[in-house]
Amino acid sequence: MRSALHAEWTKIRTVASPLWLLLGMIAATVALSAGATSVVTCVPAGCGGDMTKLSLIGVTLGQALAAIVAVLVISGEYSSGMIRTTLTAMPHRTTVFAAKAITLTGVVAVAGTTAVLGSLLAGRLILPGHGFTAARGHPALSLTDGPTLRATAGSILYLTLIALLSLGIAAIVRSSATSIGIILGLLYLLPIVSQVIGDPHWQRRLEQIGPMSAGLAIQATTDLHSLPLSPWAGLGVTAGWAAAALVAGGLLLRMRDA
Amino acid sequence: MTPTVTPHRPRQRVGRDGFLQLLHAEWTKFRTVPGWVTGTVVAALLVVLVALLTGVSSNQKGSPPVPIGPGGEPVTDSFYFVHQPLAEDGSITVAVSALESSIPKGLEDLRPGIVPWAKAGLIVKQSTRPGSPYAAIMATSGHGVRMQDNYVNDTAGPPGPVSAESPRWLRLDRSGDTITGYASTDGTNWAKVGAAEVSGLGSTVQVGLFVASPQAVEGRGTTSSVSTAAFGDLRLQGGWTDGEWTGEQIGAHSPTFAGFPGNRSGSFTQSGGRFTVTGAGDIAPAARYSLPAAGTLKDILTGTFAALIAVIVVGALFITTEYRRNLIHVTLAASPRRGRVLLAKAIVLGAVTFVAGLAGAVLAVPLGERLSRANGVYLFPVTYSTELRVALGTAALLATASILALSVGAIIRNSASAVTTVIVAIVLPYLLIANPFMPVSVANWLTRVTPAAAFAVQQTLVQYPQVANPYTPYNGYYPLAPWAGLAVLAGYAVVSLAVAAFLMHRRDA
Amino acid sequence: MSAPGIVVAGLRKRYGATLALDGMSLTVRPAVVTGFVGPNGAGKSTTMRVILGLDAVDEGTALIDGKPYHRLRHPLNHVGSLLDAAALHPSRSARNHLLWLAHSQGLAARRVDQVIEQVGLTSAARRKAGGYSLGMRQRLGIAAALLGDPPIIMLDEPFNGMDPDGIIWMRGFLRSLAAQGRAVLVSSHLMSEVQDTADHLVVVGRGKAIADAGVADLIAAASGGRVALRTTAGTQAMAVLTRAGATMAATGRDTITVSGLPADRIVTLLNESAVPFSEVSAHRATLEDVYLELTREAVEFRAATPAEVSR
Repeated sequence: MRSALHAEWTKIRTVASPLWLLLGMIAATVALSAGATSVVTCVPAGCGGDMTKLSLIGVTLGQALAAIVAVLVISGEYSSGMIRTTLTAMPHRTTVFAAKAITLTGVVAVAGTTAVLGSLLAGRLILPGHGFTAARGHPALSLTDGPTLRATAGSILYLTLIALLSLGIAAIVRSSATSIGIILGLLYLLPIVSQVIGDPHWQRRLEQIGPMSAGLAIQATTDLHSLPLSPWAGLGVTAGWAAAALVAGGLLLRMRDA
Repeated sequence: MTPTVTPHRPRQRVGRDGFLQLLHAEWTKFRTVPGWVTGTVVAALLVVLVALLTGVSSNQKGSPPVPIGPGGEPVTDSFYFVHQPLAEDGSITVAVSALESSIPKGLEDLRPGIVPWAKAGLIVKQSTRPGSPYAAIMATSGHGVRMQDNYVNDTAGPPGPVSAESPRWLRLDRSGDTITGYASTDGTNWAKVGAAEVSGLGSTVQVGLFVASPQAVEGRGTTSSVSTAAFGDLRLQGGWTDGEWTGEQIGAHSPTFAGFPGNRSGSFTQSGGRFTVTGAGDIAPAARYSLPAAGTLKDILTGTFAALIAVIVVGALFITTEYRRNLIHVTLAASPRRGRVLLAKAIVLGAVTFVAGLAGAVLAVPLGERLSRANGVYLFPVTYSTELRVALGTAALLATASILALSVGAIIRNSASAVTTVIVAIVLPYLLIANPFMPVSVANWLTRVTPAAAFAVQQTLVQYPQVANPYTPYNGYYPLAPWAGLAVLAGYAVVSLAVAAFLMHRRDA
Repeated sequence: MSAPGIVVAGLRKRYGATLALDGMSLTVRPAVVTGFVGPNGAGKSTTMRVILGLDAVDEGTALIDGKPYHRLRHPLNHVGSLLDAAALHPSRSARNHLLWLAHSQGLAARRVDQVIEQVGLTSAARRKAGGYSLGMRQRLGIAAALLGDPPIIMLDEPFNGMDPDGIIWMRGFLRSLAAQGRAVLVSSHLMSEVQDTADHLVVVGRGKAIADAGVADLIAAASGGRVALRTTAGTQAMAVLTRAGATMAATGRDTITVSGLPADRIVTLLNESAVPFSEVSAHRATLEDVYLELTREAVEFRAATPAEVSR
């Protein structure tokens, strides 16, 4: 396992694209968060809203880049035929897959931490200038605040889980374009489609099972009762998706011809 | 050296050198990869599937009917009406000396507030049935004197708010179906504001004072309001039956009426020629917010988002597989003019996607409409030509998106990144405008400059300047006209196609 | 139409720090199979890609029948090429692959079936190309090259992955193409593959042609008038021939290579001295010998001009 991990780490380290994609993920996340926090203003009449969640909105964009990194880890090998080299060198396929998952978790967690903390810092710096001050009920964002700490740590976990979900789906589908289409469909479509479901019960149910709509409940710090489900339960749903995709992907990798 | 051999001459006579051949070749390429054909068919099916889901999932059977105006549009027709019948021609004059509104702050706590379209004035109405024809002249809180008729027509009169020091005299003359409105600041010098032909009034009409108080816009939402007006100097001329004044809240249980805030209700008091009237509601075309449960074509076509992802994947693969397998060498050896190859690909892909998208939309719209109506859902009405525009526009949106994916694929040459770039560029702005924090100005900006502007082509709702409503893209009101919105996406597609052609020309294949 | 065939002159191309082509020049004439040989990385594939207009060069020209490739109206009617047999969409059938190519040139579907038959793929034509063996893909690639019935055929490493039957078929096929008056350019990194097929040879090393001559001339030059002698009485034979002024080298247990005397003179001398021998034949250098000699020089004396070497 050590050698498999070492091999996967060398693989991801020695091509330029994962690094650029991860840097892109950090940049995109922070940029969108900063952009979103700089367009809101708190009028004297009062300003509601969950500024922690708004400061972390860049995660909705960053996850797409994390998904590409994950997909390329496996689909890239299939498209170039390198998967055969990999499996010849390391015939124990479950080990290879686990090593890929662990390596991916590591790099996405590191990049995700940078991205999420950067977003939070941007919010902390930008929001007071737009009227969100302690006097109006919006103290500066801080990790010493319990819910904000939970939202921050949860967002990093969320990005990692989305990467793992993507890895699993890529192992199932193998074609990179189709994988990424399915992943982004799962993430982005469910919240949009649930809006037009007339039955409130089904609408809530859809939001509860969507990996993005459920998982991003972890970012909420106010109005927790209006969430489709509680923050940690929501992240649990995303983890469930990731686990299911990884198990299915791992099994298929073992069963199918390379 | 003298050649001793005869060089070979091709016996395969070819057709004319034409772009059509290139199109034919690319079409053959497209249709012979089963996955691409499947992906395109799936895109069409997703449009239909989500329309069915939308139709099936809503159940509003038994909800009260939506009032429909004389023009067939849904209307809000809820206001406090102090009226008596007028059998023939006649006229009514009144002075409005106060109009004050309250909006709730927190639970049950009403505070004075500003409701610019709060209305107090005179109205001639066919009957008290919500949706019946009318003409009215009124003072408003923020928009001066207005003459309005049949919900959609609005004419401005003298500006300025009313107060005890500066009241407004209003007059309506009825002559058959012609209602003429006058306004005065002193009760003697009258200025004509407008005249309305209101057909179908009948001989006996209900005429009197009214107060309406529409929902106040608070950020991206609305809150109900209540207004009270003071009237004086009421004078009648003509065929009045000299009955009693009757006060009632019209349309109290209409789906377009949000109700009174707090525990208020409509009322009027009369002492001599002075009346104090309290009312809520509005007399206006219904907007999305006053009719939240109603559906639109855009809702029915939500499957467009799902279809988008499928056509973007196919569009990117149409070029990236050529690069990945070096098939591009064969393609370019057969057709060395690279710009033409790319254009042929774009045309074939766009045409195929357009046909699939059109088939999906043409099936989805009537199916979704029928299912929704069967479940009691009221749909904002659209003309046949609007329906056609939405169907064609949806198909064009999908086709343009697929061409954008093709171009980005030719630029990036990596399918996963190309697919993600295009999906994120089109879908993410839409998710952002759905975010409750996003100010309307930013949402409008996003739907003006990003590829998500193209969803404007699916809008069917009309903005009325005389109705205050959160006209946000998320509610179906786009800042750009339908085809202008699509043109934004087309602009992105054309620019990236040009960049792709330039790079293809410059780079080694 | 000026200069039928392919005329490549002075190609130079640099990829970053690597000089891929360094003054590559060659000519491919009608009715001749031209072998294009050299070690991997010598610039064979790059030259072919430049000829097809796929890669741009920093300097030099590559003309087909006097025109650059991109000026050809129906290029597949001028040049049929096979660069990479794997350049296929795996889920498209062979027939459909040829069909879109035919459509791009305005050719009828009938022609597709003709070339499929010509390369012997008829039974597999409707199967997905992704399931083809390398040999079948090569045949499909050849079919694509033949589609426009072009006077010039250009194949990059066509023998790769072929079984012995396939190699024999390919050799005969290339000969027949030349016999029809076509100019055929075949690249290979294995000399033995082209030895029996090519009439003319362009040997490349380090991005340029280091020899451009007929196969027979090249072999003769490398053979250098030497004679192979097989005899069990090696010592006696060497004594007799040394007296007659020859120089010799023992190349095996009972074989000697003799230089400086023609074969008939050797036979006479040995008969006169009653030295037994079983065979006297002109020594025939293989193309491997030629090739190794040329490329060794290319490595050692980078200044050596192609003209000197081929002379």
